[in-house]
Amino acid sequence: MTAIALRRRTARSSKAHGMMRFIGRRLVMLVVALIVSSFIIFISLDLAPGDPLSVLTGGRSLPPAALEALRHQYHLNDPVLTRYWEWITGVVLHGDLGTSIAFREPVSAVISQRIGVTAELVLYSALLIVVFGVGLGVLAGLRRGFIDNSIIAVSTLLAAIPSFVAAIVLLSIFAVKLGWLPALGNGSGFWGTIEHLTLPAIALAASAFAVVVRVTRVTVRSEMEREHVQTATSRGIPRRLVIRRHVLRNASIPITTVVGITITSLFALSAVVEQAFTLNGIGAALVQAAQSKDFAVVQGISLLLVAAFVIANALVDLLYAVLDPRVAIGSRAA
Amino acid sequence: MSRPSLTTLATLAAAAAATIVMAGCGRALPTAAELVGASAGAGSVNSLPPTTDAPTRDYTKPVVWATYREVQTLDPIQAFDYPEDTVDTALCDSLLRQNPDGTIGAGLAVATYPSPTKLVFDLRAGVHFWDGKPVTSADVVWSLKRAASTSDGSFYAQVLNRVKSIVATSPTQVTLTLSQPDYWLTGELSQMAGIVVEKAFGEKEGKKLGTPQGLTMCSGPYEVKSWTPGQGLTAVANPHYWDSTLIPRVHEIVFKGIGDDASLTSGLLTGAIGGTYPQQLSTLEQLKRAKNLSVTEGPSFAEDAMVICNLTGTLKDVRVRQALSMAIDRTAYISTIYHGYGQLPRAMENPGAWGYGKAVFQKNWNSLPVPTVNLTKARALIKAAGAEGKSITIGTTNQIQQLATAANLVRQAATEIGLNVTIDSVSAANFINFFTNAGARKGVDMFPTSNYPDYADPAGLYNTLAIPGGTQNYDNFNDPQITKDLEGARSTADPDLRASLVAKAGDRIMQLLPWIPLAAPDSLVITQRALTGQPASFVYMGGPWANMMGGR
Repeated sequence: MTAIALRRRTARSSKAHGMMRFIGRRLVMLVVALIVSSFIIFISLDLAPGDPLSVLTGGRSLPPAALEALRHQYHLNDPVLTRYWEWITGVVLHGDLGTSIAFREPVSAVISQRIGVTAELVLYSALLIVVFGVGLGVLAGLRRGFIDNSIIAVSTLLAAIPSFVAAIVLLSIFAVKLGWLPALGNGSGFWGTIEHLTLPAIALAASAFAVVVRVTRVTVRSEMEREHVQTATSRGIPRRLVIRRHVLRNASIPITTVVGITITSLFALSAVVEQAFTLNGIGAALVQAAQSKDFAVVQGISLLLVAAFVIANALVDLLYAVLDPRVAIGSRAA
Repeated sequence: MSRPSLTTLATLAAAAAATIVMAGCGRALPTAAELVGASAGAGSVNSLPPTTDAPTRDYTKPVVWATYREVQTLDPIQAFDYPEDTVDTALCDSLLRQNPDGTIGAGLAVATYPSPTKLVFDLRAGVHFWDGKPVTSADVVWSLKRAASTSDGSFYAQVLNRVKSIVATSPTQVTLTLSQPDYWLTGELSQMAGIVVEKAFGEKEGKKLGTPQGLTMCSGPYEVKSWTPGQGLTAVANPHYWDSTLIPRVHEIVFKGIGDDASLTSGLLTGAIGGTYPQQLSTLEQLKRAKNLSVTEGPSFAEDAMVICNLTGTLKDVRVRQALSMAIDRTAYISTIYHGYGQLPRAMENPGAWGYGKAVFQKNWNSLPVPTVNLTKARALIKAAGAEGKSITIGTTNQIQQLATAANLVRQAATEIGLNVTIDSVSAANFINFFTNAGARKGVDMFPTSNYPDYADPAGLYNTLAIPGGTQNYDNFNDPQITKDLEGARSTADPDLRASLVAKAGDRIMQLLPWIPLAAPDSLVITQRALTGQPASFVYMGGPWANMMGGR
């Protein structure tokens, strides 16, 4: 075996080893994040004013005996630590996330019925952000003048519109006035889903879109002014090639960072849009559960969001390594 | 499809931002004089028709019916709020039946009182559940015992507290023995407490009864086809419904929870929502103008009031309560919140809640003064009580416009007559605790409410707030005369005599003000114009309504 081949193999195995360590570290981080956040959420929900029974009774004043029976049925008299212990052992030992008081269903059912809509909505929005946000950002970065100014003006306008206002404006123009797209509901089948989710996805993407456009534009422009790009241009390398090899490649890391963070935050933002369009996703369910102090549901959905955040971050880190071989797996890109 | 005007956008934006309700409304709201005039005319208060034009044909497209939130349970003993009552009344039958005009007739059974302490139910011939099994006295006994038991988590044990025993006296007869005469019982048993669920089904499902996994087994005109929480509950017409006079004509209804006014409005305008019974709606004027919709007002049981929950502070003196009542601008409240669809409350009852003894109640109502603002007299009362500069605290939530408006109007009134007012505003979700949690009421003197009895009887509300131990008597209000008259009414068989006792108690409640009434709102129903037959009254909270609807 030649020395070169040996070195190559070592490099490959150390790379694989680094990958394993990276995944292992991230898994530990995930578990710790889940446990810590579940405890904090449980305790703070307990400290927040309100009573889960109020929602159950719909405000009807009940005699004390009836209230006591309901309290007993839902174990609301136990101390908070006991209830947390019971909840977490249920999760760890039996994979049981608990039962919702308000929905009167197992939490796993509450989530599984709703996660699809939220995932579709976030995916659709993410596609819009990547295609239009990054696309227009690159365009604005490369073409100074009218195009750049128009893109910046429009994206600034969109950034100023909160998603619930965007939802209402879109609804009244495209659903009520023009009647092109449906006003509420999830739709069924591929095209039905696309049809129903188009307005919500635009409303969700609108404000995040501006951030992506601006970061992309600035990054592309600063890469354009870098020395090696100017050198490449002066050497007579075609502009198309310069842009692809030197500008976009280098710009891709900051763009990936901001797109990754933006898309992860869509999960949390989706609550507002889901409510405005009466889409019954996990965001809307989380808001409802938090208001009614429905512990198990809040826990289940929050943990899902925490996990999504940790995993999305890990994926972004992996992408750095793919985009720029100089970046070792798991280390932060510059 | 309609083409709403440009104001659509403004109205929708205003609704979602929870700003002032009247944005975008093109039509002038009724003036104070018009409102007072409307409720001053003798007999006019009862002139609202409880029904809409009868349907002429079947309606085969599914109808989406909106409730302000999604239904949480189908178990009648834990149903009380709008969504649950609306859905349960569409699906299930009670022993007795509330009619759109508030009267009570035979339901699954015919009721007789062989003696003042015995109430007998004879099941009607041919009554059967969705699965075809007959409704028997065993099913009735099982259902009533659950309703009367606190350990099953029933909300109705309190109203059935005079029932000593529930016994099947034949396969089609059930006898209730009462500890004391109770003529309010038929009212309660026409509503949630009287709904009959199949015993075998209920025992099989156990705690799952009424949940999305367990569903339910009733005998009503619609049966549950599917329930996906978040997506809605789909009910289909029961083709074998036992009552041939009320066969449903709308083939499928999907009950959906639609939380905010903007979604509801765009859903109704685009036709995505078939209909709804709104409690109050900021976009009402806009919907009224839409060509595809029909908006109908009808009689209601509901009453808006300020609950007084502390009779030891400034409000201890009845003169202070009277002065406050005299200073509140109720006309402004009714225009702002109900766009004029409501009456000035001469008593703490809604004329729509006169399900019996109508002439007696009406005569009494006509003899009562229309509440108008009289600041001079109010200030004099405050002075006489020595209450100038004393403080009151009003609990409310700024997130619900109706409650915030009520609290602000009362604050304005109290300030005008020389009281100091503190507003204790909590989140919308926590507002409910003023009703259910004594700790939350601590330091609070009053808070606004929209309240209603379970059936068309002012006593159904009075007994909760004016009798010692009443479920909504938070201030331990106790007046022997009111208690005596209400207890007397409960034990009186003759409807007119009973009405006169209730009216008498009502008059005294108006003088002593354990609560301060704000408005008697009308009931509203909004549907696509293609639908008709839906009752316009409050019956959707207690009796069949969905099976009266069909195509125009």
